[in-house]
Amino acid sequence: MIRVVHYVNQFFGGIGGEDKADLPPRLVEGPVGPGKAVQAALGERGEVVATVICGDNYFAENIERASGEVRELVLPYKPDLFVAGPAFNAGRYGIACGATCKMAQNELGIIPAITGMYEENPGVDLYRRDVYIIQTTDRAKGMADAVSKMMNFAGKLLGKQSIGRPADEGYFPRGQLVNELVDLTGAERVIDMLLSKLRKEPFESEVERPVYDRVKPASPIKDIRSATIALVTDGGLVPKGNPDRIEMTTATRFGRYDIKNVDTLDPADYEVSHGGYDSTLVRQDPNRLVPVDAMRDLERKGAIGKLHDKFYSTTGLSSIVDIMKKVGQRIAESLKAEGVSGVILTST
Amino acid sequence: MRLELNTLMIRDIHFADKTIVTDRVLRINREELQKLLLEDPRFRRIDVELAHPGEKCRILQVVDVIEPRAKTSPGDEDFPGVVGGQVPVGRGSTCVLGGTAVVLSDYRERREVGKSTDPSGDIIDMWGPGAYAGIFGKTHNIVLLPTPSDGVNTHAYMAALKIAGLKTASYLARAGKGITPDATEVFELPPLTEIKDGFERLPRVVYIFQILTLQFDPIPGEPVLYGRNVPDMVPALIHPNEVFDGALTSPMPTLHVQTYQIQNHPIIKELYKRHGKDLCFAGVIVTTAPNNMTEIERIANMAASLAKYTVGADGAVLTKIGGGAPELTLAKTAQLCERLGIKTAIATLHMAADISDPKYGATTIFSMPEVDAIVSMGVPFMRLTLPPVERIIGRAGVSAEGAPVNGEMVRATNYIKGTHCQIGGSRLKAIRY
Amino acid sequence: MGIPAVQLSAVIAVAEMVGSNRIMLAQKIVNPVGNANLDPDEEKKLRRSMVEKALTALQAEAGEQVVLR
Repeated sequence: MIRVVHYVNQFFGGIGGEDKADLPPRLVEGPVGPGKAVQAALGERGEVVATVICGDNYFAENIERASGEVRELVLPYKPDLFVAGPAFNAGRYGIACGATCKMAQNELGIIPAITGMYEENPGVDLYRRDVYIIQTTDRAKGMADAVSKMMNFAGKLLGKQSIGRPADEGYFPRGQLVNELVDLTGAERVIDMLLSKLRKEPFESEVERPVYDRVKPASPIKDIRSATIALVTDGGLVPKGNPDRIEMTTATRFGRYDIKNVDTLDPADYEVSHGGYDSTLVRQDPNRLVPVDAMRDLERKGAIGKLHDKFYSTTGLSSIVDIMKKVGQRIAESLKAEGVSGVILTST
Repeated sequence: MRLELNTLMIRDIHFADKTIVTDRVLRINREELQKLLLEDPRFRRIDVELAHPGEKCRILQVVDVIEPRAKTSPGDEDFPGVVGGQVPVGRGSTCVLGGTAVVLSDYRERREVGKSTDPSGDIIDMWGPGAYAGIFGKTHNIVLLPTPSDGVNTHAYMAALKIAGLKTASYLARAGKGITPDATEVFELPPLTEIKDGFERLPRVVYIFQILTLQFDPIPGEPVLYGRNVPDMVPALIHPNEVFDGALTSPMPTLHVQTYQIQNHPIIKELYKRHGKDLCFAGVIVTTAPNNMTEIERIANMAASLAKYTVGADGAVLTKIGGGAPELTLAKTAQLCERLGIKTAIATLHMAADISDPKYGATTIFSMPEVDAIVSMGVPFMRLTLPPVERIIGRAGVSAEGAPVNGEMVRATNYIKGTHCQIGGSRLKAIRY
Repeated sequence: MGIPAVQLSAVIAVAEMVGSNRIMLAQKIVNPVGNANLDPDEEKKLRRSMVEKALTALQAEAGEQVVLR
């Protein structure tokens, strides 16, 4: 018998509308509201043993605390499956569904969890990497269909069956790229695609065009003569022995290296941890990547206030954008804390 | 130009007193081969080993792989500018020893890391998942393991290694001359001025083929195009048959495309197959991938202009070689073609693979609205667990993982030679889950 | 308040695409702020002029992208 715990908001829990949105989580034994559809889909195979009902505002305003409270309520019921929503296009509810599913997967004895949302629900972007979210309509009119899809999919998760492609299974892509063998070679497919294009027939590119965040440009340096300038590189220059073990490819780390009183980078002191370019010239003279010698000249001339005492280094090669974003943020925070006024970043 | 490729399907190889093909078995006189290769003073010694499909064997530090081929038509020469003299190839007939491959292994004790000349742990597994993933675990391999003479530097060694491979490929295939082939493929394409018989009404398609990346310093003396390295080459139109027939090799470090794959160029073969039916194959433009923006623009402009104004192409297929700068050159060239009215489709490996977020998932390093038809040939960084082997061929190099070379190891597929193919040979596709 | 940064890259199209605000063309991928073909003195002079130019980018408003070639 599969034990299921179901999460719903105050509205689907039958407690009230916006006026009850501040309600903390409470537990009711057995199915409530859409839980009845969940129970129907389970049939003889399982039972909705409990339902957690929580106000949308309460959850969305205290995600971590609310998740923890839900966990404490649910733990004694030892579920085999956690079901949340579906939330359709209700944003705060979607966030709660995503967060509770994530909690259930990670903290309730690693059980499968499933929810459903409409594609524009902010919960999709926030949680699709972590949990399976079944694509639903935007309105609760699609309840029966949504619950049946969710429960079918949950059956696969419980049975540890292989999960098909997002479009075939009806869940939002979780973002992982997987290599698969397909029927046609790259050569056959690229010529097919070109012919479709030449014949003005529809074709589907197999690689999506990347979209990048734009960052608001920082204000320019007003007084360069009193500015502290830091050198940063993604070319993988590290002290001999690579003390921070910065990866040669797909790096996750960065290093911060002392150059106080260093006039010029000595090739004897440095190596390169980067597998994407021929580093011979940089290893011969590291200043070709991190221009310490030239910056010292400018410092002496008074053209800048000071060359920052540390240079920062990471490796930009087949990098994962999300990880590099975090590396960049951490470098920026550190530079900020150290009072740096401007950065020269050299890329390979 | 008309080329006949006559393939003998070899079912086994072993060492013998005489180099000869009998009953589809290639027998190799190892001493004779070694003597031939030792004519190059850059080598002190050359070990030659054989590896067979299914054998629990791993070949280390693989630099390149070459299919044994020899010209059989009178007056022609093998690998012009390297083995033979400067004679055009792509015409006449050629003997191919199918099911075999010459594997070049860097056999030096010490080598520099982080260079184009560092095979950084590239391997071939002859059994298990590694052999399943790559194409070179399925061929009978003749592995060359040369030791450099004293004072021979890295570049000289690497160039000599490539030349030794080509010599061996020619030497072995000559043993197949005069034997009735198992398969004959004919590749024939007239000059552009002689397109007729309805072919002129089909869309003209050109293939723009990057043959050298300058992201690594080119190795002086390495034969790339008709025996020479060509860092300063401008885009040039060549006949597709020349590609098959020994005019080209894959430059070190042969990232995701080995000479063997160029000899069996999947895209050119496919264009031939559709020639006269879906399209009119209008030739191959070979280009380089420079390492700075000005040069990238220069090369991309010249290639696109050649396609438009000399070939008169309606469509172009493009591929790249190597990593980031080549990808940008590829995209830039496709973009310029599109702006000139040439429809394009490109095929590429996901190099900047962002496996975590589909929305901001940069799986290309370019973002150009005109470049809208992209075929995925997979992510080269997926990991495979390779079971232990009983036999090692080659010297252990610097491996990022530091695992014992004969033990179980987890390797990204980009280290398993022949798994990925920049020129369209594999059926791999990256799908977002 | 952010810190202005100028990215020196030989392949500025990538910097442009990912949305760097201040960009400057570097020499080559293999030696962004160097040129191995020059004498050491000349090379250092080149490097100095490059970082001086980079400093001008840090002192420029970057409403749209600033790209120094």
